[in-house]
Amino acid sequence: MSVIRVEALKKSFKNQPVIKGVSFTLGENRCTALVGPNGAGKTTILRMLSGLLKPSSGTITFPETSNNGDFRKFIGYLPQHPVFYEWMTGKEFLEYAGKLGGLTKEEAAVRAEELFETVGLGEAKKKRISKYSGGMRQRLGIAQAMIHRPRLLLLDEPVSALDPIGRREVLGLLENLKKMSAVLFSTHILNDAEEVSDEILFLHKGEIVEAGTMARLREKYRQAKIDLTLGNVKDMELFIEQVSNKDFVQSFLVNGNAATFFVENVEEAKTVFLREILEQHLPLIKFEISKMSLEDVFMKVVRS
Amino acid sequence: MSLWFTLFKKEWLEMVRNFKIIWVPLTFLLLGSMDPLTSYYMPKMIDALGGLPEGTVIEIPYPSPPDSLMMSVAQFDTIGVLIIVLITMGLIAGERKSGVAAMILVKPVPFGFYITAKWAASLLLMWLSYITGMLASWYYTGVLFGWIPFGEFLTALILYGVWLTLIMTLTLFFSAVFKVPGLAGFCSIALAIVINLVSGVLSHRLKWSPALLQTYAGEYLHSGEFSAGTFPSILLATAAIIFLMVFAIIIFRNKELSG
Repeated sequence: MSVIRVEALKKSFKNQPVIKGVSFTLGENRCTALVGPNGAGKTTILRMLSGLLKPSSGTITFPETSNNGDFRKFIGYLPQHPVFYEWMTGKEFLEYAGKLGGLTKEEAAVRAEELFETVGLGEAKKKRISKYSGGMRQRLGIAQAMIHRPRLLLLDEPVSALDPIGRREVLGLLENLKKMSAVLFSTHILNDAEEVSDEILFLHKGEIVEAGTMARLREKYRQAKIDLTLGNVKDMELFIEQVSNKDFVQSFLVNGNAATFFVENVEEAKTVFLREILEQHLPLIKFEISKMSLEDVFMKVVRS
Repeated sequence: MSLWFTLFKKEWLEMVRNFKIIWVPLTFLLLGSMDPLTSYYMPKMIDALGGLPEGTVIEIPYPSPPDSLMMSVAQFDTIGVLIIVLITMGLIAGERKSGVAAMILVKPVPFGFYITAKWAASLLLMWLSYITGMLASWYYTGVLFGWIPFGEFLTALILYGVWLTLIMTLTLFFSAVFKVPGLAGFCSIALAIVINLVSGVLSHRLKWSPALLQTYAGEYLHSGEFSAGTFPSILLATAAIIFLMVFAIIIFRNKELSG
């Protein structure tokens, strides 16, 4: 069952297209990562989904709900830099957010209490927000996004501003969150995406260049990767000349005397490469076979 | 409706926490008591401190009670207006600038509620302060120069209060339109000055101008009768307040709240 369906979403700022026709659906109890380099348009997409920006064209629909325009009540949103009323205490703000989300006073109080435990802010709930640290603000931000039990949680860079311990905790929290709602979070840190998300959307220059479940992406990019370092640049040029036209080499990236080859048939590639090196008497420094990480997939997708 | 009250209570709590609820009424109290007191004591103070040559006779006539009260109103019309603009101009623009408006308005909060709750809270604070100041002026005027009947005082208070309400609403409107609080404040004050000037110069042609409500309040206190333009100005001011609020909501709703 899909929670949100996005079709041909476009956005321009001052005639500069920033999002160039993006379509996807998000399912229930799935955690989806929106991955892309800085400036790819991640924040813009999240803001459009949250209703803060109006799309230039395209549609955003919540299929299971009657379409009466205001879909804000289905959404919990954490901006990249959450801002609060500094003069409130954490508890006051969270209860305020809950009441704005449609909870009664009593429900908001109970739910706020729960969430303080969930996000680990129990100690600080009676402190003024002006006294909160960056990590505490991030947690309060996540709590306020969840308070009215939204169907879809939109989190803009939820872990980028946190220290390693805080990151661990928030990533753990994301695992739990998807039991309650669909989660879409943006990040430029691929490890984070790989760790917690079921699906990944690769965004590059305002377009989704690759998308799918982690399993499907792994399947698709099951090719192996061979990292090779030779004695000097000249040797590498020679070597490239010899092997670049072989059919098992899908693509390669050269960087001075080092190169990365993406190959289909590892066994064959290994034999051919090593034989070539021996026959030409090339000074071998490093030869490493590995599976593609998400980062390699990403680099590949972005460069193509 | 409980959602509206939640928003309203937040505004009120904010005014309590940042002490607006204390210093704004206090300032109006000070403004209101200043003129009757100085008009009364000035000759005595000059006498005591002035070092004027022996035999100098100082004749400063005491103001009539209505004049004394209207001197205070003139204070409210300058410094009072400035304070109202200053405390109102950031209410929406400031929240948009800091980004907290985006945090609030991704929740299912009707835009009209958000703006009218702020308006109502400001209205309450403004009238509370203004009434405090007027009461102080009325009291000292009564003690020092003679009492104005309370009913007449109240009528004059309401007449001028309509103009203050219009200024406050105008500032809130600009606060919803612009993202920079200072710009909202500047536009409000500039527009108020222009309206005041034009209405003053062309007062015979613009009898319905709300800026003349100050004059009408004074004339009413003197003669006990409403001048010809009084009700048209009140009607126009009310229409303008409603118009400004409706447009503030419409403009605000169509704004993109981030970026």
